[in-house]
Amino acid sequence: MSERSALAARLAPLLLVGALAAALLAGLDDRLTLESADDGAARAVTAAFDAMPDDALVLVGFDPDVGTYAEIRPTVRAVLADLLNRGATLGLVSLTPDGRALAIAELARMDRSEANPRQLIDLGFLPGAEAALVAVARGINGGSQDPIRADLPSPPDLAVVIGGIDLGARSWVEQVQPRIDGLPIVAIAPTVLLPELEPYRASGQLAALIGTPRDGAAYRAQAELGRLERMVDPAAGPSPAAIIVGLLVAIGVLGQAFGSRLAAVMRAARPRDVA
Amino acid sequence: MKRATIPALVVVVGVLVLADLLLVNDSLSELAGVAIDAAILVAAGAALAAVASLAVRRARDLWRRRGDPIGAALVLAGMAAMLIAGLRPGAAGATDPAVGWLVAALLIPIGATLFGLLFVTTLAASRRSLASRSREATVLVGAALVVLLMLLPIGGVVGERLSDAAGWALAVPIGAVFRGMLIGVAILAAVFAARTLLGVGATDE
Repeated sequence: MSERSALAARLAPLLLVGALAAALLAGLDDRLTLESADDGAARAVTAAFDAMPDDALVLVGFDPDVGTYAEIRPTVRAVLADLLNRGATLGLVSLTPDGRALAIAELARMDRSEANPRQLIDLGFLPGAEAALVAVARGINGGSQDPIRADLPSPPDLAVVIGGIDLGARSWVEQVQPRIDGLPIVAIAPTVLLPELEPYRASGQLAALIGTPRDGAAYRAQAELGRLERMVDPAAGPSPAAIIVGLLVAIGVLGQAFGSRLAAVMRAARPRDVA
Repeated sequence: MKRATIPALVVVVGVLVLADLLLVNDSLSELAGVAIDAAILVAAGAALAAVASLAVRRARDLWRRRGDPIGAALVLAGMAAMLIAGLRPGAAGATDPAVGWLVAALLIPIGATLFGLLFVTTLAASRRSLASRSREATVLVGAALVVLLMLLPIGGVVGERLSDAAGWALAVPIGAVFRGMLIGVAILAAVFAARTLLGVGATDE
């Protein structure tokens, strides 16, 4: 690597931060919106919530990871507020240590807000990943004296899975759905899991899936949260300007590298053609 | 002996859980429940053992001044801070406000920052892999470039076409690959399970 290239490599992260700061200071976020023109994912979530009975019980599998939670946090808070506003009781269970830590933080936040504490059931942390999911399903079916079943007033009407990289909606579809007839599953997941979960959404095994910031923004725009609007910070969503700057930088860097590689291949091929 | 015990355990537990999924029988269900509860206990024990092992290893690194002593000190300090916050006299355990502060103010931002750094490191790795003149890397980066272009939020007809193309790419080629992978993993798991249940090993082939 030449000295010039080495200097450019060292300065690149600083330039990226500078570009992000410039985009944010220029007020691009005020002129850009994240909402997708296609709000099908948001409507599917709302339809799943509308299909719940009055005073429904919702089992929330809360297992995001700390790395990707920042992306889905505003949508997660809106979903929880939406469900509480509809009068649903939420039972939060976590199967990963990350998820438990984040669930505690969100429960504390809901306690401080106007959420009715009677609508919140902390089901705690269950180790064992897939085995724990089987135990959850068995407990819901009343097949054992499982603490989850003992803490729930009735079988849940809906499962909402807040997924992360370690454990998420795929495990719920595989381990819980075959064991509990007719339990619809709604999933909120970071974009990195979208290709893995999209087949489950397309097959109907997931009643609804929010898997991109745009779908999340579309859902937040149409959710009616009533007095629980305060639970959701309207400015907490991912910055559209930062996303666009990131896209452009990635296209620029990869395009330059890819173009150089193609040019090198063509240069190497030319003398052979002449010969 | 070890070779026979583990497959036997797998066979018994596997058949039990499978039978419990397919048949409605209270006794079978209770037995499967015992097996699953045991698996959960083992997982909990393994998690605790892993944390203890990490602490011991890092303490040894620090004591013998090998590896990364600063990193070892930070790991141990983080563990100690969380343990003191949650287990000090009068603390409310995992729901204690001090634990909540450590999680919300330190753990989550640090985790998000590390994940955010993937943006820079992935781009750097892509450039390096292209420089290695690998054909696979060229295809990988080319595909990434095409997907990034399709995700550009452009208005008008061009934007609509790009958005449609992105949706098609996710639903058809990418979706097909992931479906294929999921089915392949399921088949492999079934084959592996069947081999274990039947006691077929590599030496039997």
